[in-house]
Amino acid sequence: MNKKTKWGALAAVGVLVIAFGWLIYGGLDSNVVYFLTPKELAAKGEKGFDVPVRLGGQVKPGSVKWDEKALDLSFAVTDGTGEIAVHSHGAPPQMFKDGQGVVVEGRYGRDLVFQSTSLMVKHSNEYKAPAKGERPAEMYKSLMKSQGT
Amino acid sequence: MNWRRASIAAAAAAPIIGLFAWGLTRDPNNIPSPLPGRAAPSFALAVFSPGQGGLMRPAGDTVRLADLKGKVVVLNFWASWCLACRDEHAALSQVAATYEGQPVQFLGVLYNDVPDKGRAWIAEMGGQSYPSVDDPGARVAIDYGLYGVPETFFLDGNGRVAFKNTGPVTPGMVRLKVDSLMAVAALQASAAQPAPAPRAPAKDRAGGPEKTGGAK
Amino acid sequence: MIRLIASNAILVALVVTALGAILTPVAILRGRRDWLSFSFAAVYTNFALVTVSTLALVWGLVSHDFSISYVAQVGSRATPTFYTIISLWGALEGSIVFWAWVLGMYAAAVVWFNRKREGNLVPYAAMALLLVALFFHILLLGPANPFQAVFPVPFDGPGPNPLLQNHILMGVHPPLLYLGYVGMTVPFAFAVGAMLSGEVASDDWIRLTRRWTLVAWGFLTAAIIAGMWWSYEVLGWGGYWAWDPVENASFIPWLTCTAYLHSVMVQERRGMLKLWNLNLMVGTFVLTILGTFLTRSGIISSVHAFTQGTIGYYFLGFIAVVLLSTLILVAGNSDKLGSEGKLDAPLSRETAFLLQNMFFTVFMFTVLIGTLFPLVAELVRGVKVSVGTPFFNKMSIPLMVALLFLMGVGPVLPWRKGAGPELKGKLTAGVVLGLLFGVVGLVMGARNAYAVLSFTFAGFALGANVGEFVRGANARVRAHGESWLVALSRLVAGNRRRFGGYVAHIGVVLVALGVTASGTFKKEQEATLTPGQSMTVSGHTVRFKNAWLREEKQRQVVGATMEIMDGTRVSATVEPRMNYYPTSQQPVPTPQVKSTWSGDIYLNLMAFKQDGSNVTVKVIWEPLVPWIWFGGFVICFGAILGILPTRREAAVASAPAGGTP
Repeated sequence: MNKKTKWGALAAVGVLVIAFGWLIYGGLDSNVVYFLTPKELAAKGEKGFDVPVRLGGQVKPGSVKWDEKALDLSFAVTDGTGEIAVHSHGAPPQMFKDGQGVVVEGRYGRDLVFQSTSLMVKHSNEYKAPAKGERPAEMYKSLMKSQGT
Repeated sequence: MNWRRASIAAAAAAPIIGLFAWGLTRDPNNIPSPLPGRAAPSFALAVFSPGQGGLMRPAGDTVRLADLKGKVVVLNFWASWCLACRDEHAALSQVAATYEGQPVQFLGVLYNDVPDKGRAWIAEMGGQSYPSVDDPGARVAIDYGLYGVPETFFLDGNGRVAFKNTGPVTPGMVRLKVDSLMAVAALQASAAQPAPAPRAPAKDRAGGPEKTGGAK
Repeated sequence: MIRLIASNAILVALVVTALGAILTPVAILRGRRDWLSFSFAAVYTNFALVTVSTLALVWGLVSHDFSISYVAQVGSRATPTFYTIISLWGALEGSIVFWAWVLGMYAAAVVWFNRKREGNLVPYAAMALLLVALFFHILLLGPANPFQAVFPVPFDGPGPNPLLQNHILMGVHPPLLYLGYVGMTVPFAFAVGAMLSGEVASDDWIRLTRRWTLVAWGFLTAAIIAGMWWSYEVLGWGGYWAWDPVENASFIPWLTCTAYLHSVMVQERRGMLKLWNLNLMVGTFVLTILGTFLTRSGIISSVHAFTQGTIGYYFLGFIAVVLLSTLILVAGNSDKLGSEGKLDAPLSRETAFLLQNMFFTVFMFTVLIGTLFPLVAELVRGVKVSVGTPFFNKMSIPLMVALLFLMGVGPVLPWRKGAGPELKGKLTAGVVLGLLFGVVGLVMGARNAYAVLSFTFAGFALGANVGEFVRGANARVRAHGESWLVALSRLVAGNRRRFGGYVAHIGVVLVALGVTASGTFKKEQEATLTPGQSMTVSGHTVRFKNAWLREEKQRQVVGATMEIMDGTRVSATVEPRMNYYPTSQQPVPTPQVKSTWSGDIYLNLMAFKQDGSNVTVKVIWEPLVPWIWFGGFVICFGAILGILPTRREAAVASAPAGGTP
């Protein structure tokens, strides 16, 4: 390979790399999902509307409204200071309850309601607690020897 | 071997390794708890396991956070069905015993469990030096935004959450946190009156569009 | 007892691998080739010891020996034996044991099959394998030790992660993944051996490595498809790919390996791209380790990441060593890897391979950057972000469509010289089929340009690849007067590698059709139904019969009996369920799928009234999804064809297309 073709090839590779970088940058810029708490989302003001966001916090006790015929779920997510109203369609996950840590993905609308596209209950994978509620009492049956009666 | 090219290649790898090394110091799953720096949610819970020796509180006694003012409080949420709690139990119990007579209150909080099983578990584990209280309905756990057990909260002398640990604690970490919180409390006490300036965490929720935080 | 045997076996294995790895260069440099038999023996001994340790752990699991920490962590007396055995890879420590075992097996096989080869390549490759094994033994004795003593011994344990004991595919996907992932160590070891022994410029070692790479690639492909299948059958959202970091971690090395399988043909034929191929081979291994690091260290947030702990630091150290030493080796040897040939014509098979490689590399970087971006964003801007599916879809769909096109073009282009007039005939079938598929897609209602292009190019690639079989068989029928089927089988037998590749291409077309159709025409609906009520999605009606509760040994099951209607007749009954495990906060959804050749009816139970008076179900019509799984089988069949030894191994390597004697 002589010098000229070598530089030509290098230039071509350079152009390709720059084009690729630009595409990636553009793609990332418009598709990155920010992870925010209600307070942070509210603080973003104008910029917080209508961009993809993952909102993390706790379900505000007493705020849950679930319409099982229309499959409409609305509740508020709070981080202790801020609070954002959330609306989602579809049945909530089984563990969804007051005070539960949740992560909702969606967009914050100008009507100040966060339209959720996915709703995940935040639970630690490692340290699991049986839930109160639907579960029958024997599900609490302890695993340990001392209680194996 | 072409050592010049080799060294260029090696240099190129360095930043990647650096990025990963830095990344290891982060916890991507950790949603920063809103609690640290804030007043700890108050509680009044009944003791079901009295503890041992000087740390003892009679069973049935009600522990109120308000009564613990001036003391460093270590709140450890646990349950008898929790395996990781077994890992930390002996260490935590021993460390707590060494603080006997000092302005520190260790407190176990039973989470989603029944006192009978909690007591049996403590007996099986060879005792617990500090008292444990029951949290019926997990009310306090919800106030503290618990994700699971074990979780341990360290409250300073002013009743604020100074630190939260998810997962089992290590003795060194507990000592470090408790000692530094006690030192701060002692300093504040010796500095006579000047009330501990609450470093007001920008409570501007009046919708001011300016004053945004770091998140941009 | 079991615990002591297992953990001492690992300890001895650590010493053996370390000694074996040190002995190899000493023996070679001092000219004592007779010593090399000891380092080969170290490879076999390591395999034997790790086998003992793995079997001991399995025995510990099956016999519920809760004095072993791993058993206490994942075992439970109530868990069925099958899931007890497969919980060997259900958590971090056990998966590292299994990894070490698979690695030991590969190493022993590599040494056994190549033990008579002259030169220093195999000894150095054995050394590289021993060093990698050494790292895993360090993990097993350090941060991922499954054999710690538990005292007092618990009576029972919590059982494996509910998600991992809910479907039989969990017994299939992880072993395949490890066989694929760990298998990439073999070509890497050969590459290291070739560089250290100075044989890197010859093509001999490339031929030696080919079959091993194909084996690992086949397993990895099967693992990725099985993983998609598992996630589809278990996770309940009706999809099979979410660009989760764990999925990406298996996909990234697959991309570089697939690129390698194609570009290595250019090297064998034309002596070009040597340095590039070496980079792909070494890079594939580095990316498997990187993927493991990302998913095991907790550095990147993921739905199914394992626990974090100190293990991340060990992996970081290992990556640093591997990355630095291989980069230095490759760059240092780059002088020897000049190109012997050059590109003669723009419209030749070489060009197709070059473009294919370029697209695959760009694809790899896209996924890699998207996966690592949250880490970079947090470092540079201090914000927590996640990179969503839209980014990956936006970047990858054009690439996949372009690759489908190349898959049709490549096989019909000749090597070296520009395409001649015969090209037209070869392209006809593809073009006709492509237009047909495109029109069918349009008629079915596809309006997205990429979807229509994807259907078109899938048809084009199908026509072109099937056409190769038809033309070859027809030629044989004419030349030898054989019956068509005999001609076809002899044609394939004569050049298994080439036709294995085309079979794999056909499998990819099936996967592409399934992915495109389900992405374009998927319909889902959720409704709350009372007994006797029905709902219709995309022409498929399901009726809710009743809800029920069942006690099983290790769990409680709540289910809904749903009837799939064919007019007024019940054509099938399905029972989507929710499984409650005692150690899990959340019930594990257990969707049920009714498959037909044209698609799946996917039912997931979302919620239920406790008195059984109503249930909320999600019904999804998933067109052509079964084709993805079937396509996966076809791809693997193609890989097997390429792996099986041919009668005229040597002749095939240089025989012209068609492979007739």
